[in-house]
Amino acid sequence: MHYEWDFKVVLDSLPILLRGLVVTVELWMVSLVLGLALGLAISLGRVSGRGWVNGPAIAYVEAFRNTPVLVQLIWFYYAFPIVLGQQLTPFVAAVLALTLNTSAYSAEILRGGIVSIARGQWEGAKALGMTRAATLRRIVLPQVFRRMLPALTNRAIELAKVTSLASLLAVNEVMYEGRLLSSTYYRPLEVLTVVALFYFLLIYPGSYLSSRLERHLAARD
Amino acid sequence: MRYGWDFSAVWSHFDMLLAGLVGTIEIALVSIVLGVLVGFVVALMRLSHRRALHMPATAFVEFYRNTPPIVHFFWFFYALPIVIGLSLDPFVAAVLALSTQSGAFYAEVFRGGIVSIERGQWEGAKALGMTYRTMMRRVILPQALRRMVAPFIDRSFELTKTTALASSLAYAELLYQAMQVNSMTFRPMEVYTTIAVMYFVVLFTVSTLMRLVERRLARVG
Repeated sequence: MHYEWDFKVVLDSLPILLRGLVVTVELWMVSLVLGLALGLAISLGRVSGRGWVNGPAIAYVEAFRNTPVLVQLIWFYYAFPIVLGQQLTPFVAAVLALTLNTSAYSAEILRGGIVSIARGQWEGAKALGMTRAATLRRIVLPQVFRRMLPALTNRAIELAKVTSLASLLAVNEVMYEGRLLSSTYYRPLEVLTVVALFYFLLIYPGSYLSSRLERHLAARD
Repeated sequence: MRYGWDFSAVWSHFDMLLAGLVGTIEIALVSIVLGVLVGFVVALMRLSHRRALHMPATAFVEFYRNTPPIVHFFWFFYALPIVIGLSLDPFVAAVLALSTQSGAFYAEVFRGGIVSIERGQWEGAKALGMTYRTMMRRVILPQALRRMVAPFIDRSFELTKTTALASSLAYAELLYQAMQVNSMTFRPMEVYTTIAVMYFVVLFTVSTLMRLVERRLARVG
């Protein structure tokens, strides 16, 4: 059980880890924004009441929710380029997989929010002469976003954790740099512990805010 | 975009993929059982009024909820052996990572179920002169358990998807076996699509069955 900790290696390679952290944040933010936008479009398809939109949208959501995200990442990096006829960079493949994955989950969250808005609101807006699109944009969606904010924040937190899997496609984010450093200097204990700490510092503020928010919204209802 | 699909490579190695599926189910079941045990202990610690018990339990839960599972996998496989001075095989390391991580989440499921029971029930049981143990066993837990079913199923479902990460430690579960078949046949499109479908069939069947069970329980309650 006697082990000499040596954090010198970690301190020396801190710039590399920080660079990795920047890539992690990039991957996270790009996939989050694109995933939410696509998720909104899919949720609108789900509530549109048109069978030919609804059916494929359900299949899409279920496909992404019922397979491991790592399999999706690997599929988009190794298999998809064959159909596409063009190699994707690891970063692009990761953004693609994570965006689609996030869109499937957030579509379900947003759909739940949209159907939870009382019918009277739609009818009231109609009585005022608002179009369906205007009702959605000005009456329904603002309430949906507020009501679903905790769930969407949780999704963002999950996504932050999932970005670490991009390391397995050799995207040079913080986990990848950590693995590289730990095998180069053979100091896995120090390096991996520091990487875990980095993730914690990145993710904890968000999850703390989300739990506060949840309590706040629950108290108000 | 024209691609000549050829699944014969997959069929001739289908036994390997089936072995991988068995490996996935095995590791999932072992980790669910151990995770529930860990979660139960951690939940009791978190509910305790002694700081010495609930502080470490809270730290444990927050750590696992705010760091990505892949970090835990690598930590248990590469870093822990240095501390304990003996190397772990991939199965053991993966089970340790999965069961501690899901233990943190199961602990929240248990705790959430118990604290959701109304105060009147606790007070009523106390007024009847029940001891803490009798109250737990006869009043609180029977009601709390029913509320725990849905989140418990969700967590186990997430855990099963997370088992795919064990492939990165070279444990022979479904994804790892697919990588092996792919390296022999150079047919990533067919191989990875096949295993995505296999995951989907298993997970979708399980989640549909569980939803039926849930609805049944809701009706009884």
